[in-house]
This record gives sequence, C-alpha cells and structure tokens, in this order.
Amino acid sequence: MTIADVVKILDGKLMAGDGTSPRVVGAVVANDLMSDVLLTDADDVLLLTSLASDQAIRTAHIVGAVGVVIHNAKPLSETMINVANDLGIPLVSSPLSKYDACVKMHDAFMAEERG
Amino acid sequence: MSEYSPTILQGQQTNDDEILAKTPLDAKALGGDSSVVIMELLQRFKVRDVMKRQVIGIPRKATMREAQRILRENRISGLPVSEDGRLYGIISVNDIINGLDRGWMEDTVDMHMASNLVVLEAGMPISFALRYFNNYTYGRFPVLDSNRKLVGIISQRDVMRALLYELSVEIRKLERKTADKVSAPPPQSETRFFRREWAVVHNDLTGAGRAANEIKGILREKKVDRSIARRIAVAAYELEINICIHSHGGVLVLVISDNAVTITAKDRGPGIPDIEWACRDGTSTANDWIRSLGFGAGMGLSNSKRVSDFFEIESEVGKFTKVTCAFNLKKLEDPAAGGAK
Amino acid sequence: MTAREIAEKTGGKIEVDVEGASAENVYVGDLLSDVMGHAGDLCVLVTIQNHLNTLAVCTLVGCEVVVLCHNRPVPPDMAEGAKREGVAIITTPMSQYEVALALSSLPPSPRK
Repeated sequence: MTIADVVKILDGKLMAGDGTSPRVVGAVVANDLMSDVLLTDADDVLLLTSLASDQAIRTAHIVGAVGVVIHNAKPLSETMINVANDLGIPLVSSPLSKYDACVKMHDAFMAEERG
Repeated sequence: MSEYSPTILQGQQTNDDEILAKTPLDAKALGGDSSVVIMELLQRFKVRDVMKRQVIGIPRKATMREAQRILRENRISGLPVSEDGRLYGIISVNDIINGLDRGWMEDTVDMHMASNLVVLEAGMPISFALRYFNNYTYGRFPVLDSNRKLVGIISQRDVMRALLYELSVEIRKLERKTADKVSAPPPQSETRFFRREWAVVHNDLTGAGRAANEIKGILREKKVDRSIARRIAVAAYELEINICIHSHGGVLVLVISDNAVTITAKDRGPGIPDIEWACRDGTSTANDWIRSLGFGAGMGLSNSKRVSDFFEIESEVGKFTKVTCAFNLKKLEDPAAGGAK
Repeated sequence: MTAREIAEKTGGKIEVDVEGASAENVYVGDLLSDVMGHAGDLCVLVTIQNHLNTLAVCTLVGCEVVVLCHNRPVPPDMAEGAKREGVAIITTPMSQYEVALALSSLPPSPRK
C-alpha cells in the first residue's frame, strides 16, 4: 500500500509531497500527541493525526514516516504545506475521522492480504 | 677569587617532567580563544601555586663566570641576583653570551645584569602571567610577595605544566562522572569531530523541530545507522521542544565523533526545581496552549532518556537546565542490540 | 456496547467502573479541542490523555467510557472525577489504532 493507495482509501486529497512515492506503508500510528508518536519503534509508519501543525510533519520526518494524514478535513496552513514539501513528506487531507480511517486502513490491509 | 655557592630560598623542589617539550600549546593560544574550563583555571590559579619556590640566586659581587657555572649546572636560563630575599636583577644566558664575546667574564654580575625588571606578584591569577609572557619577550619572571621579597620564579613552562596537570584532573573527573552513570559509556577515543549548534527561541513553535530535522539530515549524510539516527533525532526533537516551551531560550548542540553522537540542550532558565518529578512519565507543567500543539503530555524528558545510551540532566533554579544525551555508534556489532525498546 | 464488553475487546482493565456506562459510537483523539468538536453523544473516547481535563470534555460531549491507550496510568484526581461524573475508565496496552480495530463493530461518531 503506497501513499497513492492511502489517498484513495481515505477519500483524501494530496496536499504536499510526492504522491507517486513507491514507499509502502508498514504500520499505522493514529495519534495527536507527538511525544507519543516519537515513542513508536515501527518503520514505514503512516501517521494519522488531527494535529494540523508543522510539528506533525516534523515528527513524521524524525520517525521516517511514509506520510501524514490529517483528519476531519481540517484546514492546513501554508507553512505546514511548505514544511511537508521541504522535508519530502507526503501530506494528505481526509474528511474521515481518525477512527473511521483506522478501520478503513485495516479493511484495506485485509483485502490486500487476500490478494 | 672566591667561589660562591648558590643561595637557595625556601620551598620545595617541583618535579620537572618533560610534558611540555612534547606539547604544542603556547601561551597565546591559552590566553585567547579558550574554553570555559581553561578560563576558570586561569582565574582560580595564582602565580604562587605555579611558580618554582626554590629559587637559585647569586649575590651582586659574584662574577659572570660564576653565574655561567650556576646556570650550566642547574640547567636554567636565568638567575636572579639577590641578597637576603631582596631582588637586584637577573642574569640570563644571553648576558653570559655577551660577556664571553666581549671579555666581561671576570666582571661582577651587577655590572651586566638586567636591573630594570618586570616582576609578578605571588597573589596574581596566572592569567596575568600569561599576559606578561605575551607582552614581554622574557622567558621567566621573578615573583615577589607583598613585602617585595623574592619568593619564586615563574617560567612559561611552569604555567603550562600546571595547566596541563589541572586539565587532566578535570578530564579524569568528567570521565569518572560519566562512568558512574553509564553502564556502557561512549568510548572516548574520538579522533574526528563534527559539531553544530542551533539557537532555540522561546515560544517559536513554528520553528521548533527544525534543528531536529536538520540533525536527522546530517546523520543520514554521515551514514549513521538508521535506527540509531532515529533515536538521536527523537531525543533532539524532544529537547528542542522542551527549550521552546519551557525555557527562556537556549541552544541545541550536536557533536558527532567516530564512536558516539552527543546531543546537548542548554537553556537560560528558569531551571527545574524537582528533576526527578520532571523526568517522570506523564508529569508536565505544560498549559492548554502547548497541549493543543500536540505536546505537553509530560513525555519529553522520559522519551529522550528512553532512547539515549547515556542521559544526564543538570539544573539550577533561576539559572539554567542542561540535558545531555549520548549515543553509542558501535552498537550494531551486537546483533541483539538494535533500535530502542 | 457496555464498558465491560469494551474492556474485553481491548484486552483492557476497568480502572473506574460505573454502573450502566456504555457506548454507541467511537472517537479516537488526543487533542481535547478536537474531541470537543467532533466526538459524538454516547461515544467511547479512545485517547492517551490521562488527565482530569479529559473528563471535562467527556461530560460536555456525552461520553461515558474512556479507553486510555499504551497503559497510561489513571492519576488519582482523574479517578475521583470519573466516579463523580459517571465516566468509566479502561486502560489497555493497545495503541489507538489497535483499539480502533478492536471496536470496529461500532460506527464512528456521526460527522458534524
């Protein structure tokens, strides 16, 4: 599952970064507290968050995330989009809630496994 | 002609080792752009702590030839001309060379000694001595006490030896401190260093994290192992955010050596009254504004401690807080040790 | 879904038990202003915010069950407040993502 797939699954819109990145999502982290995100040891994380700030992008960069999804169609600031482009982090805006997105991501993983 | 035996003043012999001959330090380097530790030593040490107390002297009516013999036998390059502790002048090797050249060797020393002397006082900090060595071409200065009595002699060599000794003591102290706190301290045998520093501004949450992002980029360039680089970046990020939201501002410093990476965060206060409390998971003094930005869950210090191989925090209320996180770069040799758990 | 069922599904422990506490939808969030804006009536709130303020938000949005992820401990003032306000608190070692999947038979909070 790449960021392009994530955009489709979560009914989202790519706001910054490379939407054709070949990197594959290895784990999902759904969290709004960046200190808690920093605790994760997982690789190739997709960060689902309601935190629409630069810090979400910077944190994603620190943990080497595949991309960031912002929920509830929250408006994104220009600086946040610039930071995402600078750091090369794909940034997706989704109208879904975080819970909804978690369930949809999981369903998509299951479908992928079934082939 | 009578033979004079050299006058010996009070004091003990200082052991003269050969450290200095092998050390490329010079007084100018120390007096100028020096570290805080050295500056502190330069002020703390007084001339009397460093000078040679055993002063070999010669009376005014001794001959130049006798002065030459004493200089040679004692392997010294300058000889105070003194009687009963009173200093009249100095005879140096240069004066002897002149004397040999011009046939003055049977003259008395008071005819050819340098009598217009620059002297140091025993109670002066050695920073004065270094300045004197810079400003004058003399290799040594006589040292007088407050009664203008000759009590010692100080050479550049004495200053260097004392400084080197004290520095090695300081370094040993630091090493011991490190060893006490870390089970596996980062090896000390670094040969190459990379150092960079970022200023972190209070309340600048749009800029906060930028240094950590850059640090991660630098670690990638330097080909630091991915999982170690991530742990370093996590610590850097938490510490940067801490300075930003809790302090009056400060700096984040990255040092990369062959064996270890160190992140140091130092701020200008307000300091932490209860460090143990502050390091506990979940404790926080953050306000709602900070929480709204995704921080302030009270995990910053515990997170940076968790990812570090060595963690130390020092703080003085009203003054500063300094957090040091160090990371061993050689961990990968042990397959059991990977990323943080 | 009762608090007891939620505890079972999330492998959690009921730290504060409240008679009759239950949930009909789910909201996952750690930013309390966001929770206030989007969580639904009778939701189960999945969060890591182990804080008294979380309870204030629960009473505002009509939430009766809170699931604290990553085994975040319940501070004493939060436990007392929860009893007083009638909010059940469950702690679980799971992450927010895992709890979301465990509760996926429930619908999300209705969009506002």
